[in-house]
Amino acid sequence: MTLDWNVVWQYRGDLAYGVLLTIALTVATMAIAVPGGIAVMLMRQSHVRAVSFLGTVFVEFFRNVPLILLVYWAFYVLPILTDIQFSAFATGLVAMCLNVSAYNAETFRAGVNSIRKGQLEAAMAMGMSRSQAMRKVVLPQAIRRILPVLASTWVSLFKDTSLVSVIAVGELAHTALQIRSQTFRVLEMLTAMAAIYWLLGYPQAKLVDWIHRKYGVTE
Amino acid sequence: MESTVTGRKNGDQPPVVQYDGVVKRFGSLTVLNGVSARVNKGEVVCLIGPSGSGKSTLLRCTNALEIADGGRVVFEGQPLPKTEAELRHVRRRMGMVFQNFELFPHMTALENVAVGPITILGADPAEARAKAQALLEKVGLGAKGGNHPSALSGGQQQRVAIARALAMDPDVMLFDEPTSALDPETIGEVLNVMKRLAEEGMTMVVVTHEMSFARRVANWILVFDEGRVIEEGPPAQIFDAPTHARTQSFLSHLGWNG
Repeated sequence: MTLDWNVVWQYRGDLAYGVLLTIALTVATMAIAVPGGIAVMLMRQSHVRAVSFLGTVFVEFFRNVPLILLVYWAFYVLPILTDIQFSAFATGLVAMCLNVSAYNAETFRAGVNSIRKGQLEAAMAMGMSRSQAMRKVVLPQAIRRILPVLASTWVSLFKDTSLVSVIAVGELAHTALQIRSQTFRVLEMLTAMAAIYWLLGYPQAKLVDWIHRKYGVTE
Repeated sequence: MESTVTGRKNGDQPPVVQYDGVVKRFGSLTVLNGVSARVNKGEVVCLIGPSGSGKSTLLRCTNALEIADGGRVVFEGQPLPKTEAELRHVRRRMGMVFQNFELFPHMTALENVAVGPITILGADPAEARAKAQALLEKVGLGAKGGNHPSALSGGQQQRVAIARALAMDPDVMLFDEPTSALDPETIGEVLNVMKRLAEEGMTMVVVTHEMSFARRVANWILVFDEGRVIEEGPPAQIFDAPTHARTQSFLSHLGWNG
């Protein structure tokens, strides 16, 4: 068996573009799913029964459906529901955001619940409203505390973006698989793909470790 | 009761805080069983008594951190409102100091003191910071404004907490066992700040186990036992000639001998 690694170099432009889309999808998902997660968490914590019920349904649904199914579902259902033809990238983004928002909501909930009651009371005793106390006192502490968890979610998310390749988003996985089927260089492309994911993912994982050490333990 | 009331500081004026038969239950446990008392303008009222006798709960009913189940709390002539929005306006006029300080750990000392006026009153940030700095100097921590709470001793943290409460220009200060979580050597610095505050005429309600502080600084003592005020009076009377057997045994347990 002869291996032809030249194919990787030959398609470097396409692969680089795929990497760019993978990073863009990860960044965009997190940029939406962090505020999204906070919003869903606040819904779950609401004193209005219907609102907290909706929040719970959101979390329990999108957390417990396989992401790949969510991607397919968004691809077929979204155009029907909204009557808009989304691009593959936007469709993938919606699916990722629904899933990661649900996870983030639970992470934020754990973070907020870990802040002792006295902090909220001190803010309320000064005359802050519940939302002011949340914004100024509870959330900043909670976010700091859950930063390591968010970072881990980020690393998983980075790899999970490969799932949107099933609806032909031209990110790294899809690009590599396309090149594979055009050139029949299966082993080379899969190896290259693995290497690229690892090379990009490893520094992120190290960064997460660093964040764990820096912010992991407080008080 | 009349004679004692008129004998009190500013007893001829309407009280700042008045408790009318306050009842508070936690489940089947009755923590406050009909407490009536008043706090006059400029008075330092100390709440003493054994643990679990309801002192802290009454204090927390004052600014509605706990809502009384029965009776009422009247602040400056108005019963405490029912809605959160109205309560916020009342709480702004009451400063509270907690046993565990409850400083905001993600803010510096200066930010802790300035955050209330900026967030709640919409104060100009530069002015609020200048005022916060002045308050930190007042509690002897003018050089510590840039420190986070974790870099301060317990006594320093509690003094920042007092400055934080003062930043809202409260009409009354509520102290919930402010020295109970402190090392013995830092208790004095906190009590000194409180004593100076009292001398400036601040109205103060203090839950405390520091009997010598109560003796020296309070104008009026409320003795709690099992959710009731069993005895009240000026410190000289309570400490030197307690009439209630429970007061006598409580004080002797603490080793108080006049």
